[in-house]
Amino acid sequence: MRIEKCYFCSGPVYPGHGMMFVRNDCKSFRFCRSKCHKNFKKKRNPRKTRWTKAFRKSSGKELTVDNALEFEKRRNIPVKYNRKLWDKTVEAMKKVEVIKYKRQARFIMNRLKKGKQLEKEEAINEVKKNIHLIKAPHAGKAKQMEEKMVQKLQEDVVMGDVDV
Amino acid sequence: MGKSCSYGSHKSDKKKHIAKTWKTKRKTKDLDQIHSDMKPETAAQLLKQEVDFDVTGCAQHYCLHCARYFVDMRSLKEHFRTKLHKKRLKKLRDEPYTQAEADRAAGMGSYIPHKKVEVKTQPVEEDMDEEPPTLNPVT
Repeated sequence: MRIEKCYFCSGPVYPGHGMMFVRNDCKSFRFCRSKCHKNFKKKRNPRKTRWTKAFRKSSGKELTVDNALEFEKRRNIPVKYNRKLWDKTVEAMKKVEVIKYKRQARFIMNRLKKGKQLEKEEAINEVKKNIHLIKAPHAGKAKQMEEKMVQKLQEDVVMGDVDV
Repeated sequence: MGKSCSYGSHKSDKKKHIAKTWKTKRKTKDLDQIHSDMKPETAAQLLKQEVDFDVTGCAQHYCLHCARYFVDMRSLKEHFRTKLHKKRLKKLRDEPYTQAEADRAAGMGSYIPHKKVEVKTQPVEEDMDEEPPTLNPVT
């Protein structure tokens, strides 16, 4: 007994679930549900269908290369039952799973950081471009001119005083 | 993205029986089958088939990439200039998707990105234009 992977969405296919299509050249395709089977019949490309794992991996949305991903494999060699080995394997599986999830989550968070940075840059750019909407170009100019005039007059008065 | 583009407008008659075209009975070749057809030995075999009266054009004019038979050289050449054929070539440029890739995407091993394959329309033999007159008396 084996939990197979769906041809289309890469989801698990448990025994008794989904269906298998055998093409007339003996190649078999397993599907986890009718949704995947229908999409296969429509000859859709899993790499280009947004909701499949293949899309997410091939377009760099998820962690693709990592040592934590190398543990799960199809092993066709039977292993003789050994209680100690069994216990250890189950323990290791749990540990690997935790590490894998952490790494995958971290990868996604790092990927999203880039977007945040770009968003910030864009916001700054927008403000810079449309600064006239926030502050009128001539705002406060009249007051400044008045202040300057007053200063000049005062200076003149002072100069006049010196002359006299 | 997922919408297939070959079904035409909303009112077209083709749209009414889509489910029938998806039946296994009417299954056409998949892209990975065409990729294996494109190997030189099989390609040579498919392009030079024996005369078969049951097939369109006596199986003499075959488009390798679209897996279609044509009546004569002229229609085959015309087909090469169509959008359908060009789109098919574009689709074939990616390596075929396999169960192994699905497994890798599911977390069984690191994911290896697919490669590009160069695909060109099959070369057309110019002598074929002269051949049909000799073939016609046979049929």
